[in-house]
Amino acid sequence: MDIKDFIAPFAVWKRAFEKPFTVKKPIDERPGAPRYRGFHMNDADACVGCGTCEAICMNNAIDLVPAAGREAKDGDSGLRPRIDYGRCCWCALCVDICPSGSLSMSNEYVWIDRDPDVFRYVPGVEAKPWDGSALGYRRAEGYRLLDEDRVPMPELGHAEAVASFLELVRGYSRAQAEKEADRCVSCGLCIASCPAHMDIPGYIKAVRDGDMDEGLRLLYETNPFPEACGRVCTHRCEEACSIGSGGDPVAIRWLKRYIADQVELSDYAKALPRGAAPSGKKVAIVGAGPGGLSAAYYLSMQGHAVTVFEAEEAAGGMLRYGIPEYRLPYPALDKDIGYIESLGVSISRGVSIGKDIELSKLRTDFDAVYLSTGLPVAYGLEVPGEDHPRVLDGVAVLARATRGEELGLGGRVAVIGGGNVAMDAARTALRHGATVDILYRRREEDMPADADEVREAKAEGARLVEKAIPLEVRDAPDAAGEAALFIWNEATMVQKEPGKRPVPEPIPGAVREGRYDSIIAAIGQGPDLSFIAESDGVPVKRFRPVVDSFGMATRAAGGAPVFAGGDLVNDRKDAISAIADGHRAAIGIDRLLYGKGA
Amino acid sequence: MNELAKELAGRYGARGWHDIRKDLASVEVDAIRIRDVMAYLRDEAGYGHLSFMTAIDNIERGAFTLSYALRDHDARRGLIVHADVDRAEPTVDSIHLLWGQAWTYQREMREWFGIDFPGSPRVDEEFVLEGWEGPPMMRRDFDSLAYSDATYAERPGRVTHDPASHMREKLYPEAAQ
Repeated sequence: MDIKDFIAPFAVWKRAFEKPFTVKKPIDERPGAPRYRGFHMNDADACVGCGTCEAICMNNAIDLVPAAGREAKDGDSGLRPRIDYGRCCWCALCVDICPSGSLSMSNEYVWIDRDPDVFRYVPGVEAKPWDGSALGYRRAEGYRLLDEDRVPMPELGHAEAVASFLELVRGYSRAQAEKEADRCVSCGLCIASCPAHMDIPGYIKAVRDGDMDEGLRLLYETNPFPEACGRVCTHRCEEACSIGSGGDPVAIRWLKRYIADQVELSDYAKALPRGAAPSGKKVAIVGAGPGGLSAAYYLSMQGHAVTVFEAEEAAGGMLRYGIPEYRLPYPALDKDIGYIESLGVSISRGVSIGKDIELSKLRTDFDAVYLSTGLPVAYGLEVPGEDHPRVLDGVAVLARATRGEELGLGGRVAVIGGGNVAMDAARTALRHGATVDILYRRREEDMPADADEVREAKAEGARLVEKAIPLEVRDAPDAAGEAALFIWNEATMVQKEPGKRPVPEPIPGAVREGRYDSIIAAIGQGPDLSFIAESDGVPVKRFRPVVDSFGMATRAAGGAPVFAGGDLVNDRKDAISAIADGHRAAIGIDRLLYGKGA
Repeated sequence: MNELAKELAGRYGARGWHDIRKDLASVEVDAIRIRDVMAYLRDEAGYGHLSFMTAIDNIERGAFTLSYALRDHDARRGLIVHADVDRAEPTVDSIHLLWGQAWTYQREMREWFGIDFPGSPRVDEEFVLEGWEGPPMMRRDFDSLAYSDATYAERPGRVTHDPASHMREKLYPEAAQ
């Protein structure tokens, strides 16, 4: 016997106070693995209620329900997913697909209750103990079921673009369009944000299916200007796009253009519905812009005989005279207008209501009148020297460019303003070889112009001078009438009232000046209401006709009812809103003519 | 490695040798040769260990791809052998006599993909899906939603909302007219 044999039994006692390797029973806590797929969590503020989780769920375990305290608004349905754990199989596809990335899973999996109905709840809205848990399943970094990147749009390079009036955006090929259309999850959040409430998921599906006739039919249900809107729409839909909550929004505008570009005008009639039988009613429309012609299209579909009166020598309104051809080529616009005319809509070009024909005569000769005259009068700079011969009006410059007239802007041009007209005027001047300064009284981020337009204007070589308050325009020394001095005051942005946007305040003494051959004022436009006489009975408040929800301004005795819409009436002042107004008025006029809405 | 690739190609018509990493490669063989290839790799090429086996449903080309992951512990290298089997008639030789643990994997694949391994012990017994009567659920044409709709009752009180219709109702109800 060895001495060790005696000691060994006692030697194990030294382990008695060490931490055991085995698990102590009974087991009280059973923590899930760090990436365990347990009960769901949802960041209800980041969630946009698109329902993609519901659509992908393989077990029909998710419902979208109104969430307390959340209202529907642009880009958010106000709905949130409710999960039924009687069906959930914990596969986490909902987490993997979630466009906003708001949905995740905790690693909590133990929950005992006698009431089976509690296992159905709205994560992030109904508080649960595991809310905010750092552990659990998250979509892995870089792992996406949805493509967060938009298919790049082929565009001219800036150097090439500025040398000509060629269209900048080239348009998608079939493969590109179908790939981009594939990114859409058909949630429909965009529809509410579109002023015309176009069936966007529907026509994107048509692109995916390669069914252009169906796509065109869906476009024309709410918008007879797909070529124009497919290029220059303010695309509020894309701001609402759920895919945009976690990546680039779907290129909705460009997919619209793709559909319209694919179908030849001669094939439109095959794809689009026929109009109703002639009603025997006549409607006059004042202004052949997008709003007026939209009303004309829908009225003509309802069988009414439509005559559109246009003061300019060509139809299209601001789409033709306000938007340069590198953004909207005339053949594309002519295609939209050509189809409307092909339905029998008559456009009297070069006829000015109020000069050539009185409004009262239209009220006598027609069964209804729609006013869609827009905002043709440019605001002045309202500083001393604003009537200097070298101070030009932005809209007029763009219109002259459309007509192909010599602009004579000179080599150095200042554009005053921050809207789309300012950007278009600046880029037109650049294409005429000028060096261009854009002066704006606030900051770049305050500019009402589309961000794309501002970015492109800068890329093409325009210099942006922010926080410049116009003070005066003076004759340039030694070049009276040929060039002008533009004098401005540098400003600083001051937050005057909380919650409102900051106001530019001049910095004392910081007065600057620049010498320019032309100064293009593009600081907004107003209406010309001179053609409306008091006897026409159209109520006007703050320089706008007052209308009801269908756009009706008056049905006073002594003539046909008068409707109005477009920039003349609405606040949004873009083509798609004018088109929506025109459609609404067409419905209103139709109801009135048939005595439906009386 | 290239020696082995040539050897496998010459003996068993193996193809598509692909070096995934310095110490890991894959190769494709015909399913009919799988037992011979495995025996050779185990006894002659040093791949003494079967790490795992699994299957992939390549429904597009009408095949299940069986994947056998082998390991040579001495040389510290791995080899994955792929073999396509006809999806319409998925039957493959069992390798449980080469590696005893293979029967467990084969029983799993029988249950989850419906691939048969004749002679493999207990291959037709339930593996993890107790009482399962549906089609093999790892097949990609298994419609999970249709299965749960047909199998499980809907709890009363469930209601859902379409985002677009809900927003129209709340934001522009006049368009619904």
